[in-house]
Amino acid sequence: MRFTLCKVELTHGVLAALVGGLAPAVVTTAARAQEAPVALVGARIHTAAGPAIENGTIVFADGVITALGAGVAPPAGAEVVDVSGMVIMPGMLDNHSHIGADSRDLNEFPVRFGPQHRIRDVLSPDDAFWKGAVKGGVTTVITGPGSGEVSSGQAIVIKTWGESIDERVVKERGGLKIAMGRKRPDQSPTTSMAVTAMLRAKFIEAQEYQARWDAWEEGGQEGPAPPRDLAMEAVVRVLTGEDRIRAHVHQAHDILAIIRLSQEFDFSLAIHHSTEAYKVADDIAEAGIDVVGMPLFTRIALADEVMATGTLMNEKGVRFTFHTDDPVVGSKWQRGNAGLGIRYGMTEQDALEAVTINPAAIAGVEDRVGSLEVGKDADIVVLNGTWYEVSTLVTRVYVNGMVAYDREGEVP
Amino acid sequence: MIRAIGAAVLAMATLAGGRADVQAQAVALTGGLVYPISSEPVEGGTVLFVDGRIAAVGVDVDIPAGAEVVDVTGSVVMPGIIDAMSYYGIAGEDMNEVPNPLTPELRIIEAFAPFGTFGSGEAGEIRVRELLSGGVTATYIGPGDATVVGGQGAVVKTAGARFDDLIVREPAAIDITLGGRPASTYREQSRSPSTRMAVVAQLRDLLVRTQEWMATSDAADAGPRNLGMEALARMLRGEIPARVQANATRDIRVAIELAEEFGFELVIDAGAGAHQMRDELADRGIPVVLGPISHPYISGEEIPDPGDYGGVDERNAVWLNEAGVHVSLASFSRGFGRFGPGVAGQWLLIDASIARGHGMSEADVLRAVTLNPAEVLGVADRLGSLEAGKDADLVVFDGDPLSIRTWATRVYVGGQLVYEREN
Repeated sequence: MRFTLCKVELTHGVLAALVGGLAPAVVTTAARAQEAPVALVGARIHTAAGPAIENGTIVFADGVITALGAGVAPPAGAEVVDVSGMVIMPGMLDNHSHIGADSRDLNEFPVRFGPQHRIRDVLSPDDAFWKGAVKGGVTTVITGPGSGEVSSGQAIVIKTWGESIDERVVKERGGLKIAMGRKRPDQSPTTSMAVTAMLRAKFIEAQEYQARWDAWEEGGQEGPAPPRDLAMEAVVRVLTGEDRIRAHVHQAHDILAIIRLSQEFDFSLAIHHSTEAYKVADDIAEAGIDVVGMPLFTRIALADEVMATGTLMNEKGVRFTFHTDDPVVGSKWQRGNAGLGIRYGMTEQDALEAVTINPAAIAGVEDRVGSLEVGKDADIVVLNGTWYEVSTLVTRVYVNGMVAYDREGEVP
Repeated sequence: MIRAIGAAVLAMATLAGGRADVQAQAVALTGGLVYPISSEPVEGGTVLFVDGRIAAVGVDVDIPAGAEVVDVTGSVVMPGIIDAMSYYGIAGEDMNEVPNPLTPELRIIEAFAPFGTFGSGEAGEIRVRELLSGGVTATYIGPGDATVVGGQGAVVKTAGARFDDLIVREPAAIDITLGGRPASTYREQSRSPSTRMAVVAQLRDLLVRTQEWMATSDAADAGPRNLGMEALARMLRGEIPARVQANATRDIRVAIELAEEFGFELVIDAGAGAHQMRDELADRGIPVVLGPISHPYISGEEIPDPGDYGGVDERNAVWLNEAGVHVSLASFSRGFGRFGPGVAGQWLLIDASIARGHGMSEADVLRAVTLNPAEVLGVADRLGSLEAGKDADLVVFDGDPLSIRTWATRVYVGGQLVYEREN
């Protein structure tokens, strides 16, 4: 239906204009790279890499942060932007999103195991919802297929703003989605047991598939190569560590089941939604897996224990991040998740990291995004107050050093 | 000291052989920042309530001997939050009588189950803890939006000793839905009304039949009774309003036209596109019960259909309020953790905070979740502000009610402490 949204906008806006002979410049030629250095001066800066900097300056050039601190002087020729009284935080990440895709394209229901499916192939650059994410200060998302199947395919790490989908990709391997727990009753597997059994069988099948290829390689590539299997290739990437599993899982027994599989087949794992993670927190900590957890902002009424998942995971030393599951909650409310986390006992710093550096590290892109540090991408959010309050507005967002959103230019 | 007084009151109640809540019981909340809503905030104020009703609000309040005094210095005291639209306590399968698109005779109160899910919870007085944790002390409940005329809604409290104590007003309104939602219900079944046109035609026809029925059977008090007509007659006589769910401007227009044609009092529900008609709504004095802004309320659908939903905007409440439209913020939530299209009811103040951030004043925002809903629900004589004579339904917050960090620490309904949280 999102696609419809775009189509209607095009029909009413662009086509009407074309028919009327007033063709606007539909394709804008936005600058592809930041031109002059920019210095944001005077804000309280939450870097997510250390304590907040009061009255700080952040300088970036060519899309990368070049200097940061309290006593930093803007370089000659820099565009100096006075942001005194404002608050700066890193562009946020949302590690579990479906943004950019039509919801009808998220699940190939007849295929119970479809790791060959790629979200990248259905991402629309026009999706109006990307804008909402940018406005909310979410500059990178891991967007992926749905949870209707045992595996629905491959996610991608991508920025929410930029010239084209291809240019916005931060990392192709955003994780292979699997969904634990019961499935629709029309086709096997339907029970949690059967889902786990199917996964075990598929991982074994992938090991055998890889063994065939290894044998062919080791045999000097004699004879015809084994037939390629796109589904198995995706699973093999998980087994070799090139990609990791992102597992949709709510119930405690399913969390234990996927941990068991991760140990049996030695793959890297993040559990998503993680509603009952609080019941098996010690098992999670011992397994050293990542948790992408609740709440989903104001969308679902949940028990206090679930709302406080972040607090508990931090106590246990588990890497934790919030998610919006866009469109379940708009990506722009990721900041509100952090606010609720603080409400339920997280420290401000832990909650900040849970929407910035933690999701970046879980996605394996912490070298580029997730904190404000010299050498990292200039993905910067400027706010008019306390960063985690929902009454605070994002006033400006930079992505790769370029203004991706500016409230001044938008109001009313 | 406080404990001793409490014990004395309890002893009196025991001696009298009755329940404590029917005995003379005075409680004074002292030292807090009091938001009466109907008047300016009072710093270091006292709220005194006796026998479940507010007796006095102010700085110099004489506290009667024997009153329970609760020092709430550093806290905020305000009237209980009122959610002007929710499906709280209604099972999903009880929300819509789909086989019949026009069912004015149905009463939501007969499906209302505020007792928690089967097999859970403890016996005793009725407490909707989930809503109380957000300071919500009353809510409007109505039939769902899958059909055209859903039936009769009610205003209920979130705590009380018995079911009947919960009911504030019933019927409180007739629930009607325009637009794509009812049309899609019947389109899926290949039956009428499957278009917007048919939705409106069937509704108009029903209202015409009601007028005829009123002119004969009802007026003469002679004809056979018709429960649906009786309910609609109350609406046409102006005793209760029509709550018309309409998001797109074309549907809001239809609602206004029907209200003019049949002379009923109109409230626009959800109103995603209402800001586009704000001046007209203000001129006509038509109130809006706005769908949640922390998640786009889309009439039962997950993703906006632009045909139905042109221009949701977080500033909707701000724009309507600025134009002079009577605005209430509502959750449209489902009960018991149900995953619905609205936000969870206890988070209504988060929506208020968002509106605050976009420039609505603190006073107007707080009014939009207390006194405005009380007015639109026709219960402002009892609820919605801290004024002498009104029900002692109030909340103590441990800080700014619009901060995400703030908790409701004490909630009183009818003067009874029904929720308490230590932080």
